[in-house]
Amino acid sequence: MSTQSASPSFATIDALTQALEQAGYFADRRLAMAAFLALKLQRPLLLEGEPGVGKTELAKALAKVLQRELLRLQCYDGLEQREALYEWNYAAQLLHMRAAELKHGEGGDVEREVYQDKYLIRRPLLQALQTPAPGAVLLIDEVDRADEPFEAFLLEYLGEYQVSIPEIGTIRAKVLPVTILTSNRTRELNDAVKRRCLYHWLDYPERERELAIVRAQVPGASEALSAQVAHFVGRLRSQPFANAFQRAPGIAESVEWAKALVALDTLVVDPEVVADTAGILFKQRDDVAALTHQLASDLLKPEEEEA
Amino acid sequence: MMLGDARTGKLADNITGFGRTLRRAGVRLDSTRIGLAQEAAQLVGLASRADLSAAMEAVLVSREQDRMVFRELFDAYFRNPDLANKLLAQMLPSAEGKAEPSRRRPRVREALAPQKPLAAARPTAPDQELEFDAAMTASSLDRLKHADFNSLSASEYALVERLAREVPLALPQVRARRTRPGPQGARMHWPGVMQGAARHGGELLRLPRLERREEALPLLVLVDVSGSMERYARLLLSFLHAATHNLRRRDVFAFGTHLTDLSPAFRLTDSDAMLAAASARIADFAGGTRLGASLATLRQQHARRLVGRRSLVLIISDGLDTGEPQDLERELVWLRGRCRRLLWLNPLLRFDGYAPVARGAAVLHRQAHGMLAVHNLAQLQDLAASVARVITR
Repeated sequence: MSTQSASPSFATIDALTQALEQAGYFADRRLAMAAFLALKLQRPLLLEGEPGVGKTELAKALAKVLQRELLRLQCYDGLEQREALYEWNYAAQLLHMRAAELKHGEGGDVEREVYQDKYLIRRPLLQALQTPAPGAVLLIDEVDRADEPFEAFLLEYLGEYQVSIPEIGTIRAKVLPVTILTSNRTRELNDAVKRRCLYHWLDYPERERELAIVRAQVPGASEALSAQVAHFVGRLRSQPFANAFQRAPGIAESVEWAKALVALDTLVVDPEVVADTAGILFKQRDDVAALTHQLASDLLKPEEEEA
Repeated sequence: MMLGDARTGKLADNITGFGRTLRRAGVRLDSTRIGLAQEAAQLVGLASRADLSAAMEAVLVSREQDRMVFRELFDAYFRNPDLANKLLAQMLPSAEGKAEPSRRRPRVREALAPQKPLAAARPTAPDQELEFDAAMTASSLDRLKHADFNSLSASEYALVERLAREVPLALPQVRARRTRPGPQGARMHWPGVMQGAARHGGELLRLPRLERREEALPLLVLVDVSGSMERYARLLLSFLHAATHNLRRRDVFAFGTHLTDLSPAFRLTDSDAMLAAASARIADFAGGTRLGASLATLRQQHARRLVGRRSLVLIISDGLDTGEPQDLERELVWLRGRCRRLLWLNPLLRFDGYAPVARGAAVLHRQAHGMLAVHNLAQLQDLAASVARVITR
């Protein structure tokens, strides 16, 4: 298996962090470390975390900095091998057989002809293995949504970077794909899958990182507004306020919120604006109701004043 | 920790030792992981401790709930460089360093302690002989006392984890409203039919159908934390926490003289965090038992937890209730009408030939669909097995 590729390789974690930042992704040191090791040790990386903390975005950013193609496999309940790996183009095969019958009647090596490469429909896993240099980034998104048999099917790929197709044989990776799995932990993944992956739990970002993200993603927002958004959302997630809500807003929500505030020409966040736009931060009725006027003004107060 | 140059193999020894210590603290990892950790350490180098910690964590940890254990252990292991003096260091808190040794969780402390010879090793189960002081069992005292659950020790943690794996709570499955493609079923799976036809040049070789999905019944557990059940509560809650982790709908309440909703605590993935949160919530620990009043609270405030009369309700209590039997009966009738099965597990059977004659116990016996009384449970595995047994009956 060759590992040489034209895509940039990062000698240090700092280099990777910087490249990711240029691609608009602000990773903290631990996440950058996990990604760095995944690249160097050539292991799949399993990312878990609350929705909206940037699991999928990391794969996109990695594809960008590595200058590799991003292949995405969205998992869902009932996902099968033929949607994940390969499928034969049956209609074309049938046509081929009929044509072959007409041409030389009986006989001929029809069976071998039917199972040739051009009738193979490649799905993301197979594409990832066959992508020529510089290789691909394969994102297996929300793997917890697929069922357990699918996890078992993934094992060969995750462990050896190869898959077996009965009619063709074993297909090995030309260039080892960078593989990212994400999970929202609606269920616990099998140990066998976890054993083959590096693991990182993505937390909500600290305030500086969130501010950097909002700044980068919403260039229209003023400095003061971005800072207020990061401050407000950060405190919303921290104790004792987090107890009031069932689900804290993720990074995606704060970015959306900042965009909405810009669209509303807001200059300063005040409790009225918060109440009007609460639907962007929270997606559950109870949570929206819990963000009262009083709570919003408490959250907007500078921290020193309170302490 | 051995000191030496990284290239001469001392690092390898230390990482192996660290991996084994982690394993003793209950983190699941195999030897290929440890090999990988060594590769990672070579890559990252030893220049920065934070980096090494991040690298080890990415390789050695594979569950969110193990992260805190890892960090505490890493702090302890790679700060104090002499494995042989580790115990000494535990006794004399060193001046340097952030984490006070006493504030580490017991699992971490135990994993760090020098290992005893095999013969002296404790059996895995905490087999303390449980005797019950009848003095507190039927007290009507509204003795308000906050629960103070200790964190789990390493052996307890291993036991709870193992039991949760080996004693599956086989909740009855029912067919839900949602459907999925399958070989049998009442309705056609038209998209599947069309896809199949397209694949075979318009021929219909197979008629896929929609069948109803199977789903576990929602589970609602009421755990007695009054004086008589005091000694079980901690391990019982840990076991329930680990065993019902994957259930989509489970609610856990504790009751003594009041009802306490433990579901927020159970949402935490780490067992120690769950115990801490439960301790903070339970205000009537080791007091009297008023099941009737607690059930009334359930009816008034949490009735919507009982989903469409499908819930399986499990009451774990000795049934020595001090409230009025009529009240208890009324509430039980209400509860019975709103769940699929009402089960009672009595883990504190005192003598053979037990008959539920105590007033509360008699009412419970009359109203519950199923009842299991177990003799003096000394060990958690018996309790776990009984929970599983009463559910599957």
